[in-house]
Amino acid sequence: MLALKERNNQAFGFLYDNYAGALYSIIKQIITDNNELASDVLQEVFINIWRKIETYDQTKGRLFTWMLNIARNASIDTLRSKSYQNSQKNQELPENVYKGVANQIIQQNVDNIGLKKVLETLKPEHRVLVELAYFKGFTHEEIAEMMSIPLGTVKTRIRNALLQLRQFLK
Amino acid sequence: MNIKEYIESGIIESYVMGLASESERAEFERYCTQYPELVAARRKFEEKLEAYASENAVAPPPEVKVKVLEAVGKESRTAVPSNQPPKIINMENQTQSRSSGVLKFLAAACVLLAVAMVFLYFQTKQENQDLSKANDRLLQKVTETDSILNRIVGEQKAIKDSNTIVVNMVGTKVAPRSSANVYWDSASSKVYLVVKNMPQLPTDQQYQLWALIDGKPTDLGVFDATDQKVILQMKDTRKAQAFAITIEQKGGAKSPTLEKMQSLGKTMLTQ
Repeated sequence: MLALKERNNQAFGFLYDNYAGALYSIIKQIITDNNELASDVLQEVFINIWRKIETYDQTKGRLFTWMLNIARNASIDTLRSKSYQNSQKNQELPENVYKGVANQIIQQNVDNIGLKKVLETLKPEHRVLVELAYFKGFTHEEIAEMMSIPLGTVKTRIRNALLQLRQFLK
Repeated sequence: MNIKEYIESGIIESYVMGLASESERAEFERYCTQYPELVAARRKFEEKLEAYASENAVAPPPEVKVKVLEAVGKESRTAVPSNQPPKIINMENQTQSRSSGVLKFLAAACVLLAVAMVFLYFQTKQENQDLSKANDRLLQKVTETDSILNRIVGEQKAIKDSNTIVVNMVGTKVAPRSSANVYWDSASSKVYLVVKNMPQLPTDQQYQLWALIDGKPTDLGVFDATDQKVILQMKDTRKAQAFAITIEQKGGAKSPTLEKMQSLGKTMLTQ
């Protein structure tokens, strides 16, 4: 860890070898339809890890957790970027965007990897919420509006879904 | 607050996966500083998540690593100059202070060495002088002893020589107790006197030895009573019918004061 904070290139190479696969997996779970873009995001993620390694605080969690969140946030940012949105041919109409995404998720059961496989074990009404929150990066408020359910229900369901997820990981 | 309920509420998973709101995160982090069991539970979930993610890893295209390391290498090269200078200055300072410490030590050592060498030099010089003086004294003594020994050997040789005539000088009426022996080597003409018993004289007077040659006294030298029991070499004489000892003024007289004749001895070669 110290070697990393001192920006030791060798230590960084070791870090890449150990975590690139896991991070690439999560990026691909968010950017599902574009491997090239996922690769670009992975590259950007590691460069960001290198730049921001000094801001990593061990007391707030493990290094992998920190890196995983950087990868997730970068992926969601890419997903939401204008250029990505424009590249999507089968765009929903703007006013229906939430519903469309939700439907997409429910239909999208094939070819799931990583955490998404875990989601399959969840009840559909739970799974869609985790999908929207974790893999699409919507806030609870956005999800509540999207799904037309109360904010409290969204929170409770997501918490319950996450607890089931933990059970699965055991 | 019931920490067990809190742990089981799903907040840990929500926090770790980045789904917690800003206020939830702040609250969670605050509780983490207070409840070690919360931290332990968080860590446990993180480890599981990491293990699962690693198991489900997807190998990225190899060129990504190359690009990443290239970019990072460029950044570290440009980052180095801004980061390093203070470190370099520190190191220079350290080496400077260390080398000046070494210099101080060396200087002190040099001074000590110089003082020690000067001391040793003078000590050796003094010893050398002392030894030289002692040697000179010894040499002088040896020379003295040698000359004494040579003299004694010469005298012994003369005395024991077959040509040597021993003349027993007996006391006269003036000085009946005076006695001395004259050893006269007729071949080499050497004359030795061995004082047996001659009374002490005032400091302005000395004994004088005479050889009586054809009735005429010839001076053979002066001597003191303190020269008792010492073989004295007197002046040489070729001929002598008799030897006589008189008391004369210090330094001797040209002719003997016969009334003060202390002893007389006749040679066998009386002609």
